[in-house]
Amino acid sequence: MQAMQRFKSMYARVITAIKRTLNLGFVFELARTLAAIVIALSVAAIIILIVSDDPGFTLRVFLLNPLTQPDGFATIFSRAMPLIFTGLAASVVLRAKQFNLFAEGAFFIGGFAGAIVAIHVGLPGLLLPVVALLAGGLVAAIFGTVPAALKAKLDVNEFVVSLMMNFILLWIGVYFLSNVFNDERAGDITTPLFPEHARIPYISQDSFFTSGVFIAIAAVILVFIFFRFTRFGYNIKTTGDNLAFAKYSGINPAGPIFSSQVIGAFIAGVGGATEVLSHYRRFNWTSLPMYGFDGFMIAIIAKNNPLAVLFVALFFGYIRTGAVQMEIFTRMSSEIVTIIQAVIILLVAAQAFLMSLRKRLMMRRIKGLKHVEATVEV
Amino acid sequence: METTPLLDMQAITKIYDNGVVANDNASFSLRKGEIHAIAGENGAGKTTLMKVLYGLEKVDEGRVMLHGNEVNITSPHKAIEHGIGMVHQHFMLVDSLSVAENVMLGAEVTKRGFIDKSHGIQKTEAIAKTYGLYINPLAKTQTLSVGLKQRLEIIKVLARDVSIVILDEPTAVLTPQETVELFNQLKRLRNEGHSIVIITHKLKEIKTICDRVTVMRHGKTIGTYDVATITEAEISKRMIGAEVRVERVERSIQGGKPILEITNLTRHHPGEPSLHDVNLSIRPGEIIGVAGVEGNGQRTLIDILTGYASSYEGRVLINGVDIRGRSIKAVRELAVSHIPEDRMIKGSNPFGTIGENLVSTTINKPAFNRAKGWLINGRKIRQYTQRLLKSYRIKADNTDVPVRVLSGGNIQKVVCARELDSQPSLLIADQPSRGIDVGSMEFIHRQIETLASNGSAVLLVSADLREIFRLADTIYVIYNGAFVGAFNNDGSVREDTLGEYMLGIKRQAFAKEVARRDAGNAAL
Repeated sequence: MQAMQRFKSMYARVITAIKRTLNLGFVFELARTLAAIVIALSVAAIIILIVSDDPGFTLRVFLLNPLTQPDGFATIFSRAMPLIFTGLAASVVLRAKQFNLFAEGAFFIGGFAGAIVAIHVGLPGLLLPVVALLAGGLVAAIFGTVPAALKAKLDVNEFVVSLMMNFILLWIGVYFLSNVFNDERAGDITTPLFPEHARIPYISQDSFFTSGVFIAIAAVILVFIFFRFTRFGYNIKTTGDNLAFAKYSGINPAGPIFSSQVIGAFIAGVGGATEVLSHYRRFNWTSLPMYGFDGFMIAIIAKNNPLAVLFVALFFGYIRTGAVQMEIFTRMSSEIVTIIQAVIILLVAAQAFLMSLRKRLMMRRIKGLKHVEATVEV
Repeated sequence: METTPLLDMQAITKIYDNGVVANDNASFSLRKGEIHAIAGENGAGKTTLMKVLYGLEKVDEGRVMLHGNEVNITSPHKAIEHGIGMVHQHFMLVDSLSVAENVMLGAEVTKRGFIDKSHGIQKTEAIAKTYGLYINPLAKTQTLSVGLKQRLEIIKVLARDVSIVILDEPTAVLTPQETVELFNQLKRLRNEGHSIVIITHKLKEIKTICDRVTVMRHGKTIGTYDVATITEAEISKRMIGAEVRVERVERSIQGGKPILEITNLTRHHPGEPSLHDVNLSIRPGEIIGVAGVEGNGQRTLIDILTGYASSYEGRVLINGVDIRGRSIKAVRELAVSHIPEDRMIKGSNPFGTIGENLVSTTINKPAFNRAKGWLINGRKIRQYTQRLLKSYRIKADNTDVPVRVLSGGNIQKVVCARELDSQPSLLIADQPSRGIDVGSMEFIHRQIETLASNGSAVLLVSADLREIFRLADTIYVIYNGAFVGAFNNDGSVREDTLGEYMLGIKRQAFAKEVARRDAGNAAL
């Protein structure tokens, strides 16, 4: 009986919370994004229809194979995993209105640091991957303090500094990889193999579904909580929304400006380490992996909402999986994915897209109210 | 009586992209040779209606008839072609150009490929002569007073040969004398055959110079009336749906140690108005009003008192504590509240929810936290927000709507609710009722009064003399960074007297006045 009562009150609370979120504005933004995705996929379909010898088969492979292949879902999640991390990193940074592109370099150096710890620090059992991931995040965060502190203290443009940092870290990384941590016997620029227990395991023997995905989802939840329920998150949001108001309210903006960038670097760094320890047996990156820049795209489409980042990253994982399938089974090139991304970004970023529809909906609502008000009017 | 009006706007509906219905089936008609007021609270849709007419906003429904023919005005350029000109509330002038260059800006006449400067000068002088709008065409715009800048704006519009002139809150920044002068010019324009629309919410102005008034409320037009046959009270009633009484309430100032003590405060900083040797003290329960034309050092004074400006000479004590070197936050910790001049820039986060805005200065309080201060207590904040929404009569769908969708008056109430609910010991109120509707204004004034009655000190800075008269116990006039006059607000001072001090025409032997006042205080 009491349990029933408790359930009822909880249910009511959840419903009001949902109602609060699902106002017209939110629903409309969601519909707008979905419409952009549908249009982008249609553009891709039209191109396939024009170019392909067998458009029906090509489309089926592109859109359905990721869902029907035995390891399709595992592949989608695996491809989405790094994008979730970098998307989150970018969303934290963009929330504070900081245009810091360091997620790219942070992802790289985080992966490298995680690999080095996995190989050279002898820790037992589960402790090793955990420490390796944290080390990846920490090293990235430490380097992340450079653009962050320069911006917060000296007002140096973080865009320029972070962009340069990416390449500085890449070449520092490549130097250490080829001269210090190189595996002489491998005959290539690469580290030795990771110890087996350092790797992030697949959820079962016969699936490629890596449990790193759960770490990514945990990160989504943590970032969500960070912005919804913590004062740090509140300060970052407020500073990003209105700097003058933040100052006026007694927030020292240097704090959020600095911490948002460092937190972003940390998330991207953990992401890099998770990616390396999930999908690689040894570290051999000699170029930037580009996940960082993709992360910005994802954060923009997701409007910096961490939950939306998860779904947008999964969608990207899906179309990229489809594109690879298409390349394997048909003569279409997988580059079609970039067209889809470009169209989505264009439509989501275009403020006026579908605004007239929203206006018409609103007109109708107002008209509906009109006769009620008429009776009130004196 | 003409049968067809000069201008007829029929069933205009305009919805902004953020979903705000600015005009809802509004209608407006203008006769030739009249001064027509559009009156309404802020957010009633007056400016939007005129922006539609001037081609700045695209109309969603309805049509505009000019001389009985339907016209489609899609840009200010088109509006000017149709003989419609607009003077905006905020001046649109290039400060570094001369008066004549501003007049011709965008419509320059060229001679052999070069701008013909003499043409601009002649044109300016011709307009000056015809309408009595005298101005030096060669003066640099940045050297002009606010009143002259407005005159320049009007000349600029007239230079485009328009027959309909729209003025958006033209007296908002003017001193009483400048207002009288403006009104004389407008009458002259009317007599020359121009039709004039004035957007305003000042009832007295409507009675003074307007022939007819159209009242708007919540985006709708309530009706059009002959000014001669309608009283101020009736207009006000139609504007807000209820009668408002504006009267000063007598309060007794409590004795005791001053809460705010300013001695010999001086600040010179390049690029901002200076402050010279300002002395002021405010006791518990006292409201001091600082009147002045904007840009005479009020901002500097407030910046120092709120911790924004840190380099200054002199001393500021708040409850006996020297605020030198204190950050904005540290000054707030002395129980100082600050209603800033601009609610959308300093006063609120337009993208944040009402709740997030209400707790921005108090979010560190244990009452709003849980888990030992690690987390925000969302439910407590929501309860708090709901309580303030009710007690400050803020109209909003729920606590989670972003502040930017509220009307100006309601946003200002959010700002006031946050600043007043903490029961500050010192309130610094900078233009607390600028640009909001009469109902909200009266409500905010009453809140400030209550605060003072409960023993807080209030420093009220305002360019609106009605507000100063309504609230202040003592009125100081600031001019060019110094206090030039002090008056007891006992009904003996008149607006135009204050105006003379505000413009620097008069100046009290101020040291004496202050000495007398302080002697009076000591005697208490």
